[in-house]
Amino acid sequence: MNAYTPPLARLIEQLQKLPGVGPKTAQRLALYLIKRPEDEVQAFAQALLDAKRQVGLCKTCFHLSAEPICSICRNPSRDRATICVVADPRDVIALEKMREYSGLYHVLGGVISPMDGIGPDQLQIQPLVRRASQAEIQEVILAISPSVEGETTTLYIGQLLRPFVKVTQIAFGLPMGGDLEYADEVTLARALEGRRELL
Amino acid sequence: MNLQWLHLRDFRNYRDQKVEFTARKTILVGNNAQGKSNLLEAIELLASLKSHRASRDRDLVHNDHAQAQITAHVQHDAGSVDLQLILREKGRRTASVNCQTLRRQLDFLGQLNAVRFSSLDLDLVRGSPEARRDWLDSLAIQLEPVYAYILQQYNQVLRQRNALLKQLKQREEPLTAHQSDQLAIWDAQLAAAGSRVTRRRSRILQRLAPLAQLWHRQISGETEQLTIRYAPNVAWSTDDAIAVQQAFLAKIAQRRTAEQHQGKSMVGTHRDEIELTINETPARFYGSQGQQRTLVLALKLAELKLIEDVIGEPPLLLLDDVLAELDPTRQNHLLVAIQDRFQTLITTTHLDSFHQPWLEAAQILTVTAGSIRAQ
Repeated sequence: MNAYTPPLARLIEQLQKLPGVGPKTAQRLALYLIKRPEDEVQAFAQALLDAKRQVGLCKTCFHLSAEPICSICRNPSRDRATICVVADPRDVIALEKMREYSGLYHVLGGVISPMDGIGPDQLQIQPLVRRASQAEIQEVILAISPSVEGETTTLYIGQLLRPFVKVTQIAFGLPMGGDLEYADEVTLARALEGRRELL
Repeated sequence: MNLQWLHLRDFRNYRDQKVEFTARKTILVGNNAQGKSNLLEAIELLASLKSHRASRDRDLVHNDHAQAQITAHVQHDAGSVDLQLILREKGRRTASVNCQTLRRQLDFLGQLNAVRFSSLDLDLVRGSPEARRDWLDSLAIQLEPVYAYILQQYNQVLRQRNALLKQLKQREEPLTAHQSDQLAIWDAQLAAAGSRVTRRRSRILQRLAPLAQLWHRQISGETEQLTIRYAPNVAWSTDDAIAVQQAFLAKIAQRRTAEQHQGKSMVGTHRDEIELTINETPARFYGSQGQQRTLVLALKLAELKLIEDVIGEPPLLLLDDVLAELDPTRQNHLLVAIQDRFQTLITTTHLDSFHQPWLEAAQILTVTAGSIRAQ
């Protein structure tokens, strides 16, 4: 016997499909939602539909955007000679929070992973090659996480782009404010590998 | 190092059991399936985060419980440390040192070192190359915890590369330039990860082999000559990262057709062998079970000594149901070797086959259905 009446059961089932939401949380959210005034629930449902229908990918950098070209790519004050390559739109958001980088982005939409059936063709690599081969591009910065798959993607893109543009990779190492003695060996080894001469 | 106490909650067949170790030698006596090996397994988990008996954590958790807890207090030369490992029926483990939860479980390794010797270790001589690689790898992890990460990276590269080779095999057409480029990247990754694995394996065997030979000569009475030779799948001579990577790439190029035909990686450290020979005969064909036991005993004693040399403190020795199987001479060699330096935990069903000196000054505990009492 099901304790929930069918419409409520359907709502809980839908909520439970969301990442990080288990049965308890789904139940709590569903019971909360049906107690809200109808116009508020209507606005919530509308926001879901609008976001789904309107948000697509920027035609240039493949970041999430409601416009054909995203606001970063349209911004005239940004440095058009530098492209920062990331795996996921979330990485753009993280980098933008820093407010230190003024160049453009390119979102690959994932990393190379044959186990998941993702090869270079499933990622936005060809558009990146076209963008990077334009004369005004001076530098392509690869900012992809240092997992096995991420590093493979970095290597692959590096090989493709190196013949015609300067390619750099972000440094990996100790977090700021972290103590050297608390760092793990892997991070330390990585930081040592990427050491620089003091100038 | 000295394991002072161990507390098991809902681990295997234990509900809530604390054990204090009051002597350098502790003998756990009990019938089969009472929980003797489970206790050693808990210590093995603290030392290596791995169990040689269970591949899933849910097997380690007492039925009807969501999580198991292993807590221990270890005395080192310089200070002491509290270790805790929580294993869950579902979900990730939690490891903490001195009540601090670790973000990376890798940092847990090296807090407690142990060498385990059980009757299954005869597989080192008689089993497949995989048994010997696993043994060497877990020793390497105890000596250089970062090796756990290196090995994990290698295995991930291998899985990805195998997935790609399998995809390419299904096409049955010659590779396009684009596909070759993709494969080349994974070749390079395999070479990079593989060279790290093979160089460390070689370095550790180089240090282990003389120790094992020495013990073997002593135990076998100078009549037998043990040779331990590392036979990597990719042969290399100069211990230099670039040179070893090139050796990998050369061998991959040479086996290209075969790999594509098979749809899997045929080159790499997952096909390494560690050759054990006695008087120039492969050990698995050589001699009686007793002689093979001598060999395993020599390897274990070498392991013990090497960990002591590298860590600077004697590790724990866990003898799981194996001491009674050794004849008095070998028992005696073992006793002389460990003296009082190595804290030793011994499981057995009967005390009568023990050489008398083992029982002197030993703490004897009885294990019955997941409960431990002093005798």
